[in-house]
Amino acid sequence: MADGTPPPGPDPVGPAPAVRPFLVTAGRVADAASGRSMPVETQVVTTAAGLDALGRLSFERYDIVAACRLPQSIAELAARLRLHLNVVRVLAEDLREAGQLTVHVPDAEATHDASVLRRLIDGLRAIPDSRGEPSDTD
Amino acid sequence: MTPTEPLTRGTAAAAVRPPLPVKMVIAGGFGVGKTTTVGSISEIEPLTTEASITEVAAGVDDLTHTPRKTTTTVAMDFGCITIDPTLKLYLFGTPGQERFGFMWDDIVEGAVGGLVIVDTRRLDDCYAAVDYFEHKEIPFAVAVNAFDGQVEHSLDEVRWALDVSDGVPVVVFDARERGSVRDALLVVLELALARTEN
Ligand SMILES: Nc1nc2c(ncn2[C@@H]2O[C@H](COP(=O)(O)OP(=O)(O)OP(=O)(O)O)[C@@H](O)[C@H]2O)c(=O)[nH]1
Ligand SMILES: [Mg+2]
Repeated sequence: MADGTPPPGPDPVGPAPAVRPFLVTAGRVADAASGRSMPVETQVVTTAAGLDALGRLSFERYDIVAACRLPQSIAELAARLRLHLNVVRVLAEDLREAGQLTVHVPDAEATHDASVLRRLIDGLRAIPDSRGEPSDTD
Repeated sequence: MTPTEPLTRGTAAAAVRPPLPVKMVIAGGFGVGKTTTVGSISEIEPLTTEASITEVAAGVDDLTHTPRKTTTTVAMDFGCITIDPTLKLYLFGTPGQERFGFMWDDIVEGAVGGLVIVDTRRLDDCYAAVDYFEHKEIPFAVAVNAFDGQVEHSLDEVRWALDVSDGVPVVVFDARERGSVRDALLVVLELALARTEN
């Protein structure tokens, strides 16, 4: 960090302006198996406790809790906040443990259910093409 | 709140139920039109994020005789389609890889299906993706992107060259046309549905 390097001695009040992922997560990493425990489409939502805590949160944690007032996937969150997916995974798990976020891991059985697939098919068919025509039904 | 209480209990915002997210994967070699495909139908501009994939290096480790694996950070892009307030379809583009040995489990795990996009001028670019979906037994279709309406090989030639089984649909589409992308995605969903029925 070129500027803003804190002088040696006691910690400054706030963290440095730009922090590396490793520092954000205090050195913890999400491993290769994390795709199974928290897939990219996993939805995260701020809780009332998270809203209450917003003023006490800083940096990435603040950004995540603020953004998740609208439910979104961890992939969207990572993209919008410009964080590596695995950083979001670690922080989302922290915030969930603190009761500030709910984390909704999709149930594989539900997403592969025939009725869900039919709803997806019907929903997609209703999307008009560039000329405004919906898909031919069969 | 005590640590033993369920984390979602009694909190107002937890009443906001997120939609059920269903994921489909858009794969294929470099520059075949994956991002274009996502962008044609997504309700948001395609977003990009950094994700990790595992690369299995050629050869095996001399001492342990296990394949060497390294984790690589890649840019992955995606978009989404809200079907209704309770159901949302996500489209994830795998990073373009023309070589074998990449594992996208971190992105693909749990996907309802895949679309492998092919440029007929560079058919071999998509072998890795075809192999991957076959190995993972994820329903997938091959979609030939008709760059400017041109397809250099017939669908039978494509099928033969890729050596995909009869159950794998091979279609031609235009990555820039929303209706064409929609119909290609429908082919995959119909295939996934058919799998639940037998
Ligand atoms: N003429 C024509 N150009 C296309 C078509 N599809 C994509 N392109 C162009 O081809 C280039 C590559 O398309 P992308 O959608 O970025 O391909 P990609 O698979 O995401 O590429 P990588 O992410 O780099 O692997 C872009 O310049 C597109 O505008 C098509 O159907 N016709
Ligand atoms: Mg791309």
